[in-house]
This record gives sequence, C-alpha cells and structure tokens, in this order.
Amino acid sequence: MSEYDYEALGLVAGLEIHQQLDTATKLFCECPTERREPEETVRTFTRYLHPTKSELGELDEAAVEESMVDREFEYLAFDSTCLVEADDEPPHRIDDEALDVALQIAELLDMTVVDQAHVMRKIVVDGSNTSGFQRTALVGQDGQIETSEGPVGVEDLLLEEESAGQVAGTESGVRYSLDRLGIPLVEIGTKPDIRSPEQAREAAERIGMLLRSTGTVKRGLGTIRQDVNVSIAEGARVEIKGVQALDQISEIVRLEVGRQVELLDVAETLRERDADVGAVRDVTSVFADTDSGVVRGALDAGGKVTAVPLYGFDGVVGREIQPDRRLGTELSDHAKRHGAGGIFHTDELPAYGITEAEVEALYDAVDAGEGDAVAIVAAGAETAELAIDAVADRAAGALEGVPEETRGANEDGTTRYLRPLPGAARMYPETDVPPVEPNPSDVETPELLTEKVERYQAEYGLDAGLAEQVAYGRRMPLFEQAVEEGIDATFAAGTLESTLTELRRDDVPVENLTDDHLLSVLHLVEDGDLAKEGVGDVLTTLAESPGLTAEEAIEEAGLAGVGEEEVREAVVDVVERNEQQVKEQGMGAFSALMGEAMGALRGKADGEVVSEVLREEIGKRT
Amino acid sequence: MNVGDRVRVERAGVTNEGVLLPSSTADHLVVKLPGGYNVGVDREDADVEVLESDVYDVESAQATGETSEIEFDDDLPTVSLISTGGTIASTVDYRTGAVTAQFDAEDVLRAVPDLAGRANYRGRVVANILSENMTPDVWQELAHAVHEEIEAGADGVVVMHGTDTMQFTASALALMLDTPVPIVFTGSQRSADRPSSDNVMNAVCAVEAAKADCAEVLVCMHESESDDACALHRGTRVRKNHTSRRDAFETVGAKPLGRVAYESEDVTFRRDYDTRGDTRLDISPGLETEVELVKFVPGMDPAALDYLSGKAGVVIEGTGLGHVDTDLIPRLEELVDAGTTVAMTSQCLEGRVCDRVYDTGRDLLEAGVVEAGDTLPGTATVKLMWALANADDPEEAMGESLAGELQTRSVPWT
Repeated sequence: MSEYDYEALGLVAGLEIHQQLDTATKLFCECPTERREPEETVRTFTRYLHPTKSELGELDEAAVEESMVDREFEYLAFDSTCLVEADDEPPHRIDDEALDVALQIAELLDMTVVDQAHVMRKIVVDGSNTSGFQRTALVGQDGQIETSEGPVGVEDLLLEEESAGQVAGTESGVRYSLDRLGIPLVEIGTKPDIRSPEQAREAAERIGMLLRSTGTVKRGLGTIRQDVNVSIAEGARVEIKGVQALDQISEIVRLEVGRQVELLDVAETLRERDADVGAVRDVTSVFADTDSGVVRGALDAGGKVTAVPLYGFDGVVGREIQPDRRLGTELSDHAKRHGAGGIFHTDELPAYGITEAEVEALYDAVDAGEGDAVAIVAAGAETAELAIDAVADRAAGALEGVPEETRGANEDGTTRYLRPLPGAARMYPETDVPPVEPNPSDVETPELLTEKVERYQAEYGLDAGLAEQVAYGRRMPLFEQAVEEGIDATFAAGTLESTLTELRRDDVPVENLTDDHLLSVLHLVEDGDLAKEGVGDVLTTLAESPGLTAEEAIEEAGLAGVGEEEVREAVVDVVERNEQQVKEQGMGAFSALMGEAMGALRGKADGEVVSEVLREEIGKRT
Repeated sequence: MNVGDRVRVERAGVTNEGVLLPSSTADHLVVKLPGGYNVGVDREDADVEVLESDVYDVESAQATGETSEIEFDDDLPTVSLISTGGTIASTVDYRTGAVTAQFDAEDVLRAVPDLAGRANYRGRVVANILSENMTPDVWQELAHAVHEEIEAGADGVVVMHGTDTMQFTASALALMLDTPVPIVFTGSQRSADRPSSDNVMNAVCAVEAAKADCAEVLVCMHESESDDACALHRGTRVRKNHTSRRDAFETVGAKPLGRVAYESEDVTFRRDYDTRGDTRLDISPGLETEVELVKFVPGMDPAALDYLSGKAGVVIEGTGLGHVDTDLIPRLEELVDAGTTVAMTSQCLEGRVCDRVYDTGRDLLEAGVVEAGDTLPGTATVKLMWALANADDPEEAMGESLAGELQTRSVPWT
C-alpha cells in the first residue's frame, strides 16, 4: 500500500497503553501476582452477570449489547487466589506498592497527580471480572512525552485491576482463570496529538521505556497491551484493541487510515449510485433444494435464510478495504457478532455450492436487479434474524462513511469489528474502597533506561551493546542489586545476559531460574567458591532442578571448588608429562598446556588461577 | 455551586469539567468527569466556575419513576413480595459513600426482570432498614403483614431482608405464625448495584420456593459459590456463618431442608416438612422483649451479669456441653430465684447441651437453669421472648420443639 499524505488526510491518533505491574501482591487483596496454568486449579464455580445502572441512572450501550446473550461464566480458582477474586469478599484497601509505582510513572510522564483518587467501577459484563466491573482510579492528568515529530500530551494515568484471563469458550459461555484478575495495571492514555504512523510507534516505544524504567513492570507476552485510536478528517474515531507488538503499531495505523479512505470512497460511490439498503426478508424458500453445504446444514437444523437487498451495491460489497478484507468481510463481522457463521453476498456468488439459478431467484425474491447486491445469512431462526439486521445496519453505515466502533487487531495488522464504542455511563463509585490521597513527594523518580545505558558504560565500563542489553533486559533490577552487593559489573552483566542467552539457545529451561539462584551463583564466584568457567554448568543444573540451592547444584554438577593446591598438583602433572615440549618451547608451550590443564580440572578451577600457576611452573623449568 | 451542577474546576494548572457530586469529606470537591471517572479536588485550592446549574438530579437518578407493567395472569399463583430493606434492593448513598436500602418491592421487580412471568405479584414495604437495625416490634409488624397477605389470598410470601439478622426474623415469624403457605426469606450478600449480585438468583429461587409445597418459614440463599442452586433452610435452624460469601447461610446440625435448582426451577426436599394447606392460618405475635443473650468467656467480669436483674429471660451461650465458670453459678441462681427464666445453649453451635455430664452442669441444673437442647443461641433468644409471652410453661417450652428449632435426634448427615 502506498504511503498517504497523513497531514492532508487529517490523521489524528492516540494511544492507550496497558501495562501490568510487577508488585508483590494484587491491587485489592494480598494474593501474589503470579500466573498459573489452568490444570493447577483447585476450585471452580459458575456465575451469571446482569447489567446495572450507573449512579446517574444510565445503562451503557456496549454493556447492554454484551448482556443480550445470557452466558454462563466458569471461573478457575487456585491456591494463589482468594475470596476477593471470587467476588465473595469485599476488596481490601488499594495496594501501597502499586500506588507508589503509579506515582513514579506519573512523575516520568510529567503528570499532575490528583488530590484524591476515587476508585470507580467500570462495568464490564463479558465475565472477565467476577464482579461485573473493573476497579479503576484516575491517578494522574495532563502529562507529556517527547517524540522526534514533536510532543505528545498524556491525557490520563489510571491504576486499575487486570481482568481474568480467558481459558476457553464453553458450551454455554466462557471459562476464565482467576490468577490474572486483580494484578495491578496502569493505563496511560495520550491526547490525540499523534499525526503519523511512525510517531504512534515512537510514542508507544517511549512510554514503554519509561514504564520499564520503574523496574516494577511485568515482562513477557500479554503483560503490555496497546490500543490505538485512529481517525481521519472525514472518517470517524475507531478504537483498535489488543495490539501486542510494538512493531505492529505503525502498520495498524497505516492500514486503518487506508480502511477509512476506502470506506469514504465506497460511501461516495454509493451516493453517486443513489444506493439504498432495503428491507430484510426471509428467503428460505429460494434455497429449499439447495446443495450448498452451509445453507443445507442450517436448514436441516431447522434454521432459515434471511436476506437484505443492497440496492446499488453491486461490486462494492466485494471491494477490498484492507489487505484481503472486503466490505463483505465487515458485514460478515457483524453477523458473526450475533452468532452467525458469516454471510454470503452476490459479489462472490455463485460459489460455495450456491447456483446461478439460486442467485437469480434470490435477486427476484428481494426485488433486486442489475447494479444491486444481496447479502444472506443462513443460521438458526433467531440468529438469522438478529444477524441479518446487524448486516443491514452495517450496510446502511457504509452509505454514511466510517462508523465509530471498537475493533480488534489481527496479526497481519488489519482489524475486525468487536463492539460499539463504550460510553461514559459505565462507571460508578466503588464504595467498598475509600478514596486515597496520594502524595507524589513521597516517591523517588526512577532513573530512565536511557540514562542507565549511559551510566553502565561510564561507571561500570560495560560496552554499549551489553549496557543496553542489561538496561532494557528483564533482569535489570537483579543486575543492579548484584552490583550493589559487590559483584563485578561486567561479570554480572555477562552472566545475566550472554550466559543466559547461550543457555536458552541450548534449550536449558532458564525460565526456572529465580533471582535467588542467580544472585547466589554470582556471589559464589565472587567469593572464589566457584570458577567462572563452571557458571554455565551450575545454572544448567539449577534450571533443571530448581529445588536445589546453588551450593547443592555445584555438588551435583561435580564442580565443588578446587583449591590452589589441587590446581598446582594438576598443573605440575601436565607440565611433567610434557617436559620435552616445555624445554624446547618455554613459554611458547603455554597455550597448548593451558588447554590440557583446564581439561584436567574439568572447569572446577578458575582459569586465571590455572594460568598463573602454569606460568610459574613453566618458568621454574626454563 | 450545588450538587448536580456542571462545573469547571481549576487547580494546579489542571482544568477539569464535569458534574459536581456529593463528597464524603469536607476538604474535597468530587467531580464526575466526562469519561466517567470521579476525581477529588482540594476545595481550598480550587477555582470553581459553575457552567450550568442542575444538570443532573443526583438524588433521584436511580428512581426512574417508571411503573412496572405486570399483567395479572389467572394461571399463575400469587406471591407477595415484602420488603424490609437490605442489600437485595440497595443502592449507593452519596453522602456516606456506603450502600443503603432505598427500594420498595416494585423496584425489586424492576431490578430483577427475571421474576416476570413466574407469578402474579403483590408488593409491600414493611420497613426500609438495614437488618442490623431490626427490632422485635418490626418482627411483629412483619408477622401482621404476612398474615394479612396470606389472608388476602397470597399463595406464598417472599420476604426480602438484610442478611445480618435474617435468621432472627425468620425464627420470630416461624414461632408467631401458623401458615398454610410457604414464607420464604431471601436477601443478598453482594449488593444489588453490581452485575454479579446474588440478588437475581436468590429472588428467583425464593419465588419458586414460595410457589412450592413446603408451608414453613424458610431461608433461601445461595447453596454454593456458584449461581446454580439455592439452599432452602428451615428458618429456625439456619445461621449466617460467613461475613461475605454468597453461601454464608448454613443449616446447623443437618443438611439444608431443600434446594431450588436455578435453571430447571426444580424444588426438592431432603426431609419431611409441613405441606401446603395442612395448617390453618393463625398468628400469635406476642413477645416479651426483656430477654438477653449472654455469651460466657473465660475470665468474664461477674459484673457483666449485673444488668440482667429484673429481666424476664436470659439465654446463656455457654461453653461445651453448656457450662459457665463455677463462680458465676450463684449469680444465675439468684436470677432464677427472682423469677428470670434462664436457658442454656452452647457456643459450639453444633450439638446439644447436656448439663448432666459434669459437676458444673449438674450445679447449673440445680440452680434452676433449663437446657435448650440443640437450639441455636440466637434462635433460643427469640424463642424465649415468644415463649414468655405465649407458652403456659416457658421453661418446659425451651426443651421442646415449637417450630423445628430443636431437634430431638442428632443426625447431622441427613
């Protein structure tokens, strides 16, 4: 796709970034913020949710649409979750550590902290919160970050609870896992100051760096999520949810601009043709004898076929809006949302077992002809009616241009319809948690990762590459702790980055290594109880048997420390065995004998010690 | 500047526009921002401008004024919904920031649309109080109201009650009323203002129980943490055994009497019960309210028993089989001699008292204390109030079952 003139199109974009915090306990209870596997569940229970009014007496459109379907939610509880996650105990007070981290983030984003933070209930009835709402508080306002294309304002900083993770769909609803529910989450919303896809990526990257500078954010897949709001001048605000990778952001913006441009063009074409969406009809009789598998299946199950005539839409329904996504795909998304498998439309027919004759009969049945298109849904009776109404509504929207909506990011950077934009009415106060008055002056401003990279080079003499690797790496807080405790910085950095990376490449399960494991190993080397050469073996042993202590792992790996005496014994052995070579070459024999000596000691001894003793022993004999 | 005004508040360089809400502290203005968030702003340092007066009527926003349109259906039974307040029909109070009861029975129908089509409803509000504020005279008022409803043709009664003292009120009604129809108490542990509230299933199951065949005073609450069934407890044997869980209510000393499956609406029972229509409607609402419940703890100051002088009845929640410190026995004897009925229950809750096993017990019996069998301490207190006003021999009555409150056989596995 060619690059657009974003300024001319009037591109306006904003970001919403959600980041899980790596605090000791959850936001409203004392449970650990630890993820679990569904198989580890110790208890399950099921619930239904019912929408309620806000304190201003309003119901939210998105919440109502969500609750139209009566769904049963099943929850998996663990020995690491309590009654608070089960919505069977009132929330505890807001977690101090999480609030502190939020205040640090506010500081880094140059925000004003509110005088009094009120915890709100944001209604969410998709089951992802057992309570039916997400607890969330506005903590900071009115900040700013810098990008190479100019400053981007930061609208607000919210501290909220993470939702429960979806495990699977069930026959009657959805199964959720409670381990994730209640992990503290910050949501950062920028102002709509972003003017290009590249700037969107840069702003997201900058915010990501600032967040990681606190050293208290979760790392790994799903721990940070980016939502992007995009509109162009003639288009409409579209909220795109769930962008997982930073690299995807510019592509998402680019493709959404493309989508809005195409939809505007579609609208103009339709206006020129004086297009119109006709009345929805039952066309089951057209397909009474059909050989189309999909339609036959629906009819045999007692369903029906519904149709909507799209006057003047011929060729437009099949038009590409995003790579491999057509206007028809958008209509289909709405049908799916109401339980249908999708739609067929005449721009793609005859196909899928539907014959030319059936297409003609379909046109006749809905009073459509040349220049028109028809969309159909084959499904259970109720679904077919709901779905075709949704298709008709979306088609009518195409006459207007771009509908406002919430969309979900696909892996290829395109998007799909999720739901209407949420309204403001879905909030009411969480009366179980008293308001808090945060004190930003209590909080230390963290050092930025960019500053760390420079300091690691200047202060510790790390090279630029390793400094950046450590600073941006997930073991940065551990590195700083190790250096603080007297470990040589280069050694610590090399172990935590290079060694672990090598081990991972060798399929060692390094994710099993705890901070304690790593720190003890570093200390053992620093204290001379373990040779640097043995670090890889000990860490491998620990990763494979995480129940061991570092000392036990040394025994297990057969690397119990070797004193200078034993080293000398081994070295003398090697030198004497190669007496001839030593006499002839003197120090020239060093490299060859060094290898032999290290081999004899099998990594139990520090190379520096071996080298020193070997030099001495060669010296004595020449 | 008033609550409900749209305002612009400026403070520390940040400008917020929104609707002014009531604040629970004097130091802060609370503003509802367009995004839905509330934020507190230091009143002293804030510059406030009123943009528009009275945009929202915050006080009445919840009460929409619409009337529920429920048509009378001859084929459906009639169920009276009696509200006494409590979490099942509560909403947020902005002055205190807490949840309080503000709904009448009609609102409950609006709040729980799932009730529609199950019965013809008669709505009635007896009180609008949190159940911790319940008093014996409200029990009496409620008994009269239930009596009237049944007299007027109700095929069943559902009483919506706060959960804290539900077991006391249920016991009182079980003693006061002879009923030919089910009287089912229900409430909610998680407030009605949350989508996850247990009020919907509890109310629906209570209505199903009120239409069923068991003409007793029952408590209908969640059977487990799941929204799949409610347990039906005999009102005199039930106890709130958890502060917050949905399934806080338990029948002590046995499994619940019955169960209502939410999806299938099946009402089933485990044991015998009084069937619909077997009993003639009657009411004996008298209560002697000069009755106290005293819990014995080791080291208790004997002066704690001083205020019992002149009481008509005292229920002791003793230890184990029904004991108090030997040194307190003379004081209890004094009370009995002065005409107070003193009944013994156990803080073990499970099991019956037996004061014939140890010397302390024998001394208590000697002193004139009567045993209340396996009656729960709270229920025994209500029972003693009722017995003192209605029974020929209150002391003997405390050892007998009047409304299922005392079991003669200990079979907790049934």
